[in-house]
Amino acid sequence: MTRLADDPESKFEASLISRIADGDESAFATFYQRLSSSLYGMAYRMMNDAKEAEDVLQEGFTYIWRRAGSFDPARSTAFAWAVMIVRNKAIDRLRVRQRSERLRERAEESVVQQRDESSAEEPALRERTAIVRSALQQIPQEQREALELAFFGGLTHEEIAERLTIPLGTIKARIRRGLLRLRDFLHEEI
Amino acid sequence: MIDEQTQELVLQYLLGELEPSQMEVVRTQIDSDAELKTFVNEMEETVGSLAYSVRPIAAPPDIPRRILRAERGPVRPAPEAPRSRRAALSLIPWALAACLAIACIILGVDREHVRDRLSKELAALRETNAQTSKALTQLEQKSADSEKEIAAFRERSAGLENQLAALEQKNAEAQTGLAAVKQKAAEAEQAVAALTQKDADSQKELAALRQRNLLSEIKIATLTAQVAKFQQANAVVVWDTDLRSGVLQLDKLPPPAPGKDYQLWVIDPSKPLPVSAGVLSVPSVGLIRTSFHPSQPVQSAAAFAISVEKSGGSMKPEGQIILLGK
Repeated sequence: MTRLADDPESKFEASLISRIADGDESAFATFYQRLSSSLYGMAYRMMNDAKEAEDVLQEGFTYIWRRAGSFDPARSTAFAWAVMIVRNKAIDRLRVRQRSERLRERAEESVVQQRDESSAEEPALRERTAIVRSALQQIPQEQREALELAFFGGLTHEEIAERLTIPLGTIKARIRRGLLRLRDFLHEEI
Repeated sequence: MIDEQTQELVLQYLLGELEPSQMEVVRTQIDSDAELKTFVNEMEETVGSLAYSVRPIAAPPDIPRRILRAERGPVRPAPEAPRSRRAALSLIPWALAACLAIACIILGVDREHVRDRLSKELAALRETNAQTSKALTQLEQKSADSEKEIAAFRERSAGLENQLAALEQKNAEAQTGLAAVKQKAAEAEQAVAALTQKDADSQKELAALRQRNLLSEIKIATLTAQVAKFQQANAVVVWDTDLRSGVLQLDKLPPPAPGKDYQLWVIDPSKPLPVSAGVLSVPSVGLIRTSFHPSQPVQSAAAFAISVEKSGGSMKPEGQIILLGK
């Protein structure tokens, strides 16, 4: 079974991290250029607020700059590592601030929707995006819903169970099965 | 093979749901299990790939520059060439002035940005504060309601305790009354048993008395022959003093001679003459039994006699006494 870490794009991104750890600012700029649109899209999806998504992204990349030496390519891809960093920053904000729903609704109308999206997509990114979206479409809707609430909503398993009024064990099983199927689909495609 | 429970635990770990202490435990478990480590790595890549599913959005291009500008001074200070102590000291005012100038520039550039951020954060904090105040008010209201409920509950509890004490008192009194009634019942039973025993004794005594009385009322007299001719004859009289009558049983007494009859007499000491008890009918020598009643009231039957009288009997004994007994 092929891992994402074996992908040439992933290997290149891992090498950029290694250079960032050595203080290479150009590597940092390149890394940012390659990953920022996906990470910013994710941060915006989670925060529902353009300014807060920007702050999250800046905090995440600051962490990457400072802690690049802690990245272990044997454990995960550079992309997954960066995703988890930015996601954790977003969740910290969501949980600490406990932002109101009213603030979220107001933020949805922010300027981010007017940005040029297509210009951010590179060919490699477009390919990965297509693969993941296709894989997600192949898992059952209820598993996809649970995954999205956990990953983008920053909700815990218990919070998801409460929101969907479904037993906690069912939610755990849906997330687990969804991720296992997604892993299998992604490995088949790469 | 990793069981489902462990898989779910490490997924919670990857999604950042566990407490720091739990994270540490799970991290140790992952590091000590090669299979689990591989699974976690694959899952981390899979979870990370979810970020590809969102629509990419062009991020602000100046973020790396901002980061590097902010990080340069204290984190990654540029190496300085060795200088003499005096030269370094003489440069301090200039360095301070340069820092001040840089700070002014940074502050000027970021002023609007910082103000905007602070305004938003302030608004969010005010919103949070308002919600917190509201929640606090609700909590205080709930607390007051709860205290009222507790007071009411305590009052009801006190009332129930009083009722319980009264019931226990009544129960104790009832137990005492019941014990007294049982005691009386036991005494009554003993009295009944004693009376029953007395009654039985009385019945026995009564029976004995009756028996003695019966025996005392019956008198049995055997009459013996006063003449040789009637030596074979047997005569027995059973006399009832109470009824003042009797029964005569005769055996081997020959029939009377023609023109004669046998007559029975009761000798009463209170009378001057024997009292006739009637003429006996003796048709043959066999056994004869007959009841008799004296012709006058008898006070005391001291003896009985049979005489031979003219046919039809006499008012007083005139013929020969053939049988006599007491």
